[in-house]
Order: sequence, then C-alpha cells, then structure tokens
Amino acid sequence: MSPLNDDKDSITSSFYLTKQTSFRIAMKQRIGVYICHCGGNISDYVDVEQLSKLIANEDNVVISKDVMFACSDSTQKDMVQDINDQKLDAIVVASCTPKLHTHTFRNVAIRAGLNPYNYTQVNVREQCSWAHSDKPMDATIKAYGLIRAGINRVKYSEALENIEITAQKAVGVIGAGISGMRAAVDLARMGNHVYLIEKEANVGGRVAESGKLFMTGENGKDVIDRLYKRIKEIPEITVFTNANLDKVSGSIGDFTLEVSVKDEALKLNVGAVLVTTGFDFYQPKEGEYGYKLSDNVITLQQFNKLIETSNDKLVYNGNAIKSVAYIYCVGSRQSKGENKYCSRQCCSAAIHSSLNVHEKFSGVKAFHLYRDIRTYGKQELLYTESSRKGDIYIKYEEKEPPAVEVKNNKTVITVKDYLTYKKELSFDVDLVVLVTGMVPRSDSNDISSKLKIPTGSDRFFNEIHPKLKPVETVIKGVYIGGTCQGPKNITESVQSSLAAASKINTILRKGTLELEPIVARVNAETCLWCEKCAAVCEYDAIKPIESNGKMIAQVNTSTCVGCGICGPVCPSNSIEIVQFTDNEIESMIDGFMEKAEINTKQDSQENEISSGKQIKLNGFPKIWREIASALDDKTLTIPQLSEQLGVESNVLTWHLMTMNRYGVVEPAGLDEDEAYYMYKLKK
Amino acid sequence: MPENISNKYDAVVIGGGIAGQETALNLADMDYKVLLVEKELSIGGKMIQLSKVFPTLDCAACITTPKMSETARHPNITLMLNTDVIETVKTNGHFDITLNIRPRYVDEALCTGCQQCEWVCPKVVEDSYNSNMVGRKAISIPFSLANPKIAAIDMEQCLHCKKCEKVCVPKAIDYNMQPKRVNVEATSVIVSTGFNLFKPKNKPQYGYGKYPNVIDAMQMDRLIAPTRPYNSLLRPGDGKVPDNIAYILCTGSRDSSIENAMGCSAECSNNPICSQICCMYSIKQAQLLMGALPLADITIYYMDIRAFGKGYEEFYQQAKSMGVNFIKGKVAKVTPKEDNSGNLILRYEDVATGKLKEVKHDLVVLSVGVLPNSGIVKTFTNQKLELDDQRFIKQVDELVSPSLTSIEGVFVAGTAAGPKDIPDSILSAGSAASEAASYIKRFSN
Amino acid sequence: METQEFKPRILVFSTDKISDPGIDQAGLRKIHYSPSVYTISIPCSSGIKPRWILHAFEQGFDGVFIAADGTECSYSSKCSEHTNSIIVEAQKIMKERNINTKRIRMAAICSVCAEPFVNHISTFSKILQDLGSIKNEIAEHKAPSLS
Repeated sequence: MSPLNDDKDSITSSFYLTKQTSFRIAMKQRIGVYICHCGGNISDYVDVEQLSKLIANEDNVVISKDVMFACSDSTQKDMVQDINDQKLDAIVVASCTPKLHTHTFRNVAIRAGLNPYNYTQVNVREQCSWAHSDKPMDATIKAYGLIRAGINRVKYSEALENIEITAQKAVGVIGAGISGMRAAVDLARMGNHVYLIEKEANVGGRVAESGKLFMTGENGKDVIDRLYKRIKEIPEITVFTNANLDKVSGSIGDFTLEVSVKDEALKLNVGAVLVTTGFDFYQPKEGEYGYKLSDNVITLQQFNKLIETSNDKLVYNGNAIKSVAYIYCVGSRQSKGENKYCSRQCCSAAIHSSLNVHEKFSGVKAFHLYRDIRTYGKQELLYTESSRKGDIYIKYEEKEPPAVEVKNNKTVITVKDYLTYKKELSFDVDLVVLVTGMVPRSDSNDISSKLKIPTGSDRFFNEIHPKLKPVETVIKGVYIGGTCQGPKNITESVQSSLAAASKINTILRKGTLELEPIVARVNAETCLWCEKCAAVCEYDAIKPIESNGKMIAQVNTSTCVGCGICGPVCPSNSIEIVQFTDNEIESMIDGFMEKAEINTKQDSQENEISSGKQIKLNGFPKIWREIASALDDKTLTIPQLSEQLGVESNVLTWHLMTMNRYGVVEPAGLDEDEAYYMYKLKK
Repeated sequence: MPENISNKYDAVVIGGGIAGQETALNLADMDYKVLLVEKELSIGGKMIQLSKVFPTLDCAACITTPKMSETARHPNITLMLNTDVIETVKTNGHFDITLNIRPRYVDEALCTGCQQCEWVCPKVVEDSYNSNMVGRKAISIPFSLANPKIAAIDMEQCLHCKKCEKVCVPKAIDYNMQPKRVNVEATSVIVSTGFNLFKPKNKPQYGYGKYPNVIDAMQMDRLIAPTRPYNSLLRPGDGKVPDNIAYILCTGSRDSSIENAMGCSAECSNNPICSQICCMYSIKQAQLLMGALPLADITIYYMDIRAFGKGYEEFYQQAKSMGVNFIKGKVAKVTPKEDNSGNLILRYEDVATGKLKEVKHDLVVLSVGVLPNSGIVKTFTNQKLELDDQRFIKQVDELVSPSLTSIEGVFVAGTAAGPKDIPDSILSAGSAASEAASYIKRFSN
Repeated sequence: METQEFKPRILVFSTDKISDPGIDQAGLRKIHYSPSVYTISIPCSSGIKPRWILHAFEQGFDGVFIAADGTECSYSSKCSEHTNSIIVEAQKIMKERNINTKRIRMAAICSVCAEPFVNHISTFSKILQDLGSIKNEIAEHKAPSLS
C-alpha cells in the first residue's frame, strides 16, 4: 500500500500543488559560466564558442567562457581567479557528466572561498554532444537549454555546510576469508577496532580449503594459520565465528550491526563496514560435460583435494589415473548463459594443478581443452612450464564444445581442435576435470539487501567506478573487497581489501567526519505532523518534535540519505531535499524551454580564426619555409607536397603536422578519394 | 621548489604515475606528510598519454587530470619534478635520501604557462609526449594537460637565440639555472616507478623504424586521443586516412626469441611473461577506431585473447559484434608493398586453416608489451632492494602482503612489481598505502 | 516555425546513481535519440513531486518519462511502488486538466541500459506524436496556473 493512496477523501489533488514558500533565499546575482570543449568531445558537435557568447548576455551572468578542458589545472586556476576578481557568487560548469567532476569543481569553489554548493554541473557531453553527435545543430540548441537550466538552478542555489558527525573508530569486516582477515590486520594496525564477522565455524574461507597455491607454492592452510596467529596477537581485532549478520542500521560513521553468534545477540557499533564475503564455485549442472553422469568427471576443487590426499600414486575410486583432461571455462564466458564474464584465475589454477600432478606423480598425461589460455602476467610462466612438460593443449570454441561420453566403461572425449584446422579428435581419459569458474555467493542477495549494495550485470557487488572509486559502494561507509566484487586471484583480492582498508582509514582516522548536506528539511510553519513522511522513510530519519506548541517532523541529518521519498507524500508540501527544491527543479524546466537564437550558419567559426597571428618563419627549419612557399595560394596533399619538394613523405608529414600544431598551416578538407587531407597556409 | 620546504617526510613516493599519485593521496588523506618525486617535468605517467581506457571507455584525461590536480594541490603532498633519486640509505630505521633536481631553465614561480616562448622558438625537436610523431619546440610546456603547466628548455637542443627571453613577460627564463641537491629524511619509501614499453625495434622482422606506417600502440593511442598530434586520425607515413589496420598482439611479450634476434641482453632481453594489458588496449583501440573510421577494416592477430578483468570479456565480445576481425595466428614478418604506396604485407600462419597467408594492410600497430623500469634499485646502497626473475621489484610476500619488498619500510605500488592494468594498479596503490600507513603508525608510536 | 514534423519534447527524470549513468551510456556509445529529450537527475524517482510533472506540461513539454531504478534502487526496495503512486497522483491532476494521461510514462533503466532507454524514448515519442502537441490540450482547457 502506498501512503499516497491513503485517506483519499481527506486529501485533494490541490494539496500536491502547494507552492513551497518558507525557504526564501537570495537569488544569485553574479554567475560565472564555463563551457568545456573537452578537446573536441563537445566542441566537435556543439558550437561552444557561439553558446558562450550567447550565454554572456543572460541576466545575472557576469562571465561566460569556453575552455579547452574545464578540468585542467590551469582552467581551474582561472576559475579561482575569476571568482575572486569578479566576486562571483555562483558558477556553472557545462562539461561532462556530473559523476566525473562534481568534486573537482566543488573544490575549485572552495579554493576561491565560494560555497561549493553554489556550483551547478551541466552535462553537455554524455547527454548532449555524444548522444546527438548525428545532429550538431540540434545538439547546440539542446546544450543551450541545458546550460540555461543550469544557470536558473544555480540562481536558487544555497550555501550549505557539511554535516560533521562523530565517527566510531571501529570497522565491521564481513567475511573472514583471506581478504577480510588481511584487511582486519591493517585496519587494526592503523588504529581502528575491528570486528571480524565470519559465518562459518572457522576463519580462512576458500584459501584455508586449498592446498598448494600459485604463484608462490605456499600451502593455503599454512597461509591462513599464520595470518590467524597474527590476528590473535592483535587485541584490537575481535573475531566472531558462527556469526550471522542479522540487521544493519545507521549510516556512515555510526552503523549498528546486529549479529547473532550462536544464541547470543550482539549489537556492534562501527563507523564503516567492509564486505569481503567471497564467492562460490560454479556448480556444474547434471550432465554438463558428463558431470554426475560419469564417476570420472569431477571439478578442479575435487581434483585438487585428490592431488593433496594421494600419496605415491594418483588414484581415484580405486583406479590409477594416467591421463587427465581439463575442460576450461565451465560456467564462465557463456555468451548465451548467465555468466558472461571470465573467471580470471581458473586458467592459472588448472595449469598449476597440472604442474602439481607432474611434480608429485610420474607418467600422468594431461590434455587441456581451452578457449583462450589466460595466464596473464607472470602466470604465463606456468603455461610455458606445462607446455614444456608435454601437456597437450586443444582449443575448442564455445559453439562446438567438447562432448564427454561413457563408452565401454571408458570416458571418451570428442572435440574439434581449432589448433589443427578443426580436426575432430576422439580419445579416452581416466579422469575429466571441469575447470569451474567463480559465481556470486548464494547468500550474496541477503548481504546486498541488508547493506543495500547494488550488484552489476554479473551479479557480483558493484563498485561505483573501477578506476575512480574501485572499493566504494553507493552506500556511504560501506566498502567492498576481494571476490565478492568479481573474480580475482589471492594477491588481487588482498590488494583490493587493503585498498578498502586505506580508504576506510582516511574517513575514520579523526574520529569525526564530514557528510554532504544533501538532506531533507521541514518547513516548521506548514508541517502538520501527519506522519506520512516518517512512514515512508526507510532510514528511520524522521521523528516528531514539539515546536511552537505543535508537533512537527524533524530530520536526523546523519541518517537521512537525501533520497527525497518523503517529499511527494507530504500533503502540505512541507518537506523537501536541499538542492532539489521546487524552485530549482521548476526553474530548470523553464530553462530547457527557453528559445535559443542560435546562428545556424556553419561557417561562422571559420571567420573567427582569420584574426589569428601570422608566424614569421625566420630562423625556422628550412623545410618549413619550403612548405610555406609551396602552399602559397594553393592547397596540396602530403604526397603532392612530398613529390614537389623531393622530401620523403614521412618526414614531410612530421614537419607539416608540427606546422599545423603551431598554426602555420591548416587542413582544407579531404581530397576526392577521401584518402588524404589537403593543407593550406593559415592566413 | 620553495626554499623553506621541510626535509622530513612520513613517506617518499618515487614515481608520479597513477599508482604513485593514488598512494600519495591515500597517505596524505590520512594526514601523513608525503614527498612525491617524479623524473619527468609533469606528473601523470603513462596514463595521461592515453586516449580512453577500457572497459568503460572513459577518457583517460577525465580520470587522470582531477587526480593530478588533487595531488598537486594537496596540503600534505610536496611535488618534486624533473628530479632523480641519487641515493637512499637506511639508517636507524629511517631513510636518508639524496635527490637531484635538474634545472628546467624556467622559473616555476614566475612562469604562467602562456606558451608565448614556445610560439617564437625556431628550434623544432621531437615531442616524446606524442611518441615523436610530431615536433615541439626546444622550449615548451611538456604537454597540454601537464601539471604543473610550466615551460622548460631542452638545453641540448637550444640555439641560444634568446627569442624566448625577449617575449617572456614575467621574465621567467633563466639560462644559468643549476642542478640542485636536496637531502630528505623519510620514515617510509614507496616505489611506484611504473614500467617501460617494449621497444619494437627489437623485433626487426616487424619493420618498426624502417617502415613509417608500422607504429606502436602508444603512438596509436596518441593518434586517437583528443589531444592528438595530427588534425585527424592519419597514418604517419604520408598522412593518409587509414582504412585497413592490423594489430600484432604479443609484440615483445610471451616471447623468448628476442635476445637471439638482436644479440643484446639488458634492454631488449627476452620477455617470457604476458604483459596483461595489450589484448585489452588493442580491443579498446579497435572499438575507438570503428567509431572514428566507420568504413575501416580492423584486424587483430592474436595468440590468446586475455580479457580477464571485470567487464573485459563482455568488452571483447562487444568488439567482435562491432565487426572487429580477430585472427588467431602468429605474424612472422612485415614487409613493404613494392608499389611505393606505403602499404604493408603481413605474412602469418592462420591457425584456423593451417595455411601461410599474406595480407595487405595500410597501417600496422604493434601491441607492445610491458617491461620493468627498476633502475631505482641501484640507488638503495646499504640494503639491497631485490628484483624478481623478470627484473620487476620483488614482492617478498606476494599472497598475503603484496606491497612488501626486501627492505623493511620500502613498499611497491603499481606496475613496478609487474604488469597490471589501471584498475589493478590503483588497487595495488591503495594496498601499498595501507601497508605504509600501518608501518608509519607503528614507527611513530 | 511549426511546419516541420512535430518532434515531441520529453522531460526525463533520471536518478543520480543508476538511470542517469544509463542515459550517459547511450551518449558514451553514441546511440542516438531525439535531441528534444531533456533530463533532470534526482536522487531517487520516489522523490518526484507531481507538481514538477504538471509544471513541465504547463511549460510545453509533450511528455514526461520517469527513468526509475526499479528493483535496483539503492534507497528503497519499494521504490517502484512509491514512484507508481506518484504517477497515479499526477494522472489524477492531469485528468482534471484534460491532459492525456498517456503523456506520462515510467520504465526501469539500469546503469548500463543504453539501448533500452533509447528504445523506450522512441516508443514514447511515437505515442506522443499521435497525441500531438501539448499546446493543443493546454490551450483547450485553461487551468488555474500553479503558484
């Protein structure tokens, strides 16, 4: 049931249209607008130079500039200077998506002493120049509307101060596999208390179950034992095993984790959460490459146990194993299936197992049925070694996978080998090993819904951005590390969880932290405390309070996430999210519809350039002067110039392009075959 | 460099590429004092040269420039550019580091980066930022996105005509600038010196350096980048718009035949390992080329496609569906077509048919591999900073503590420890920061 | 001016974390859609006020498209339900003002849903083309203005 549908009789539609009036702010009067070329990404399609001239005439706009890279340090410095010199009270940057540079330009504002929230980002790249690169004129018109909307919005922008909250110098690490254990050690060493929460009876996860590990040859159990010994020596780490995460509440700096350990219910207060819950191995379906139909088809994990527990001879089900076929990409790279991704570490893992077999037992033949061998980096050495040991590699394609059948008590493999012109091979082996990939844990949905971590199309937990925010999730204070984020080997898992530890320490180190002030606020005059807002808030952020003799709603700014869900349900329009007020949104709509007087003449740019300075070539390389005189009143291609001047065409290209760079020559369109540009002198 | 800078740091980060910046920022955000030493004139490393980056196709500049600005202006980070490490000595648990700041012959405090000097300078030199595909001036800003954006004179090439001095309004030119020695003390050292690209001349059968339309992948990335050297995407041999482009993967990777071919050892030795990034950057370039030159044919000659990271396999499949041609086969030789067209003939063994084939292309891109750049180890004089068999910085506890090196207090980040793509370099940098911070904290308590 | 083919103007409400990046993807991959589509990104589609929708119609937008997060919403598992109620509420007012209720539409757009977004927009554009310009409806029925 939606609250909007409740009390149909008591609320009429007109309530929803009430104009919010109480938050009056002074409109911004001195606005600076910066329109970015993005090195052509925008200016190739949108006429940014014309737009910046048009925008310069807008009311309240003091400065309007087009810049090559708004994000470059020099432009940032210019902005700071403009803000100071021109006493700007707000800025608009029209460049790429706000996901990339909001922080960059907020910092520009801060450096110039302007409140960072008196800045608006306008996306004229992803949602304009690129989206409409087929229609440059329309893109220019749209960009005008977008920028106008940005200006309108920034006029209503308010100076906001970050919310400072106390941060618990404690971290909840969910999952005590190698990633979680390792991060716990560093988090504690950096001065935080750590609660390491493990579902199973023992720590160590998948690594503890493993035998010999690539690339170091260490034993998995030994690695975990050593690490666990270290953890037990650190008093700041509390380990809970057999522990279940029941509920998560609160927000960055102050989360409450409700954890049950056997019969005991605990409440842990932490400032941040690191999720290192790991992965499951893909379980082959019955009949997939003969799995479960033949006793001689097992997974790589089962095979590794077998290698570890066999002595002298490799024996399975009482039979000596003399030949093994490894089938790769089982449950990975399924172009039509659920797991489109590559599981990254299985090629190396399988080859490493094969090498372990050779080291421990003699006379075992190995066939590797693969699609691409992905022993990236130094792991390539494993592949080289396995080839050197005589392992046979057979390449199959997804559309023609190997068939595994039991014939006359033999396990027979039939496969087309793409390394020998798709020749069909048929041979029997003693054991088939399915090299299975990694999949998200079966309980990952439970974790993601408790912590509100989004998942990607591969169903693993998703970071915000693989390069900018690789361990951060959309939930402030919740970080991810290791394989819960996607397939990784051990080193990579540890690196990612330690990277998360680093980021967590940067926010918790002081014991206080600052949060963005984008939260809800209540108009005390009009609020009637009907409880509708509190009923829809999932973050428990709204409580009643007495004010001037009546009850009104009050927002807890550290738990409020600024989703705005409370806004539309308020019958008196008394609650709103700052930065998303009626004034701001509605003035944006007005801005979109503003009529643009765009000059549609394509040659308008050409005329501008003619004022450029002409270069004197005295003392410059001789070839420059020769090229310049050959191009006097003519347009020529590089091969034509090359022939005329008797200079090799690559040397000529180099010099001509340098002259182009320094404004001596410029291109004058393509020749008839559209193979070569013609060049002319730049007057 | 201001005279009054402190000479005591919690951490000295050597190398200002993406990994060095990320490590420095993490430590600085924890309120540690960091000195970032860079041998070039600008921070940014290899990443700032790139066009866009896989698998999201974000432009590299959009991700790097904000990080560069943040690094350059962080109150806890001091930048030292154009600087070499001379010696690092560990004494009483800390490091004494001697640095040499080479002169740039332009006063950093005065230069505004206006480039007037560059315009009037008559001496044209090779532009290494653009992989030498175009010229720049003997005095110039390092590149348009450089940070700091300050000019420098290439004194070996300078004609001493003093034209630059005449046009420089703030009087920033100083021909008599001298190198400067600086001694600093640090609690910890982070080595983030990155990697070198394989020099394709060391595979002479591919004709790099001989045939101008054989280029390496970094040159192609420059050609595609918005800050590209040419007015459009053209081949360097004669400025033709290419329409049939070949990629030769594993050039200088997974290859033990290099040493024999050239009879040299140090710089061009064998590289038996996989470089981890070439498949993906080639697929990325292919996708970008399909966008820039919709009519062009693009063929990738490969051994195995290693699309292993998050979203990479999907990115590879997307390239296939866009029409990029993938051929499993090892290219034996590249020769020029004998008609003066500048086109090239590739001879390769096609694995699918087993036949030896010859195909014409008008531009050949060599997807060169990753080699170590670990000369820094020589500067550690009283303790040995060990290398692994491939001459990358040795990770002494690779599985559990990937940033630890053979010297306590020295950590490794990014590709200095081995080939890595950008996301992995950034994670490795975060992990090095975590280790270093833990170490500094223990040390300072 | 209006002699050309009628190109409906569409206001899209997207969400900062999911659907707006999805729309960005369309641009990133140069999958084109109508340039008379304008987007306002907000934290969550559950926060769209009906009055904003009405304001868009009054200002001349022919349609409003809500690019919701559906089940991926990071704020609320009941996001679709909430957003749907907002649409129902807006449609009530639209009816009162003789604005065709087909002029508002919602779909879940994920952060990589470039193609689905473009397809939704093209379908919606066709519907709006059949309905014709909003100006006809607003002109017919003089509603009290919002203030």
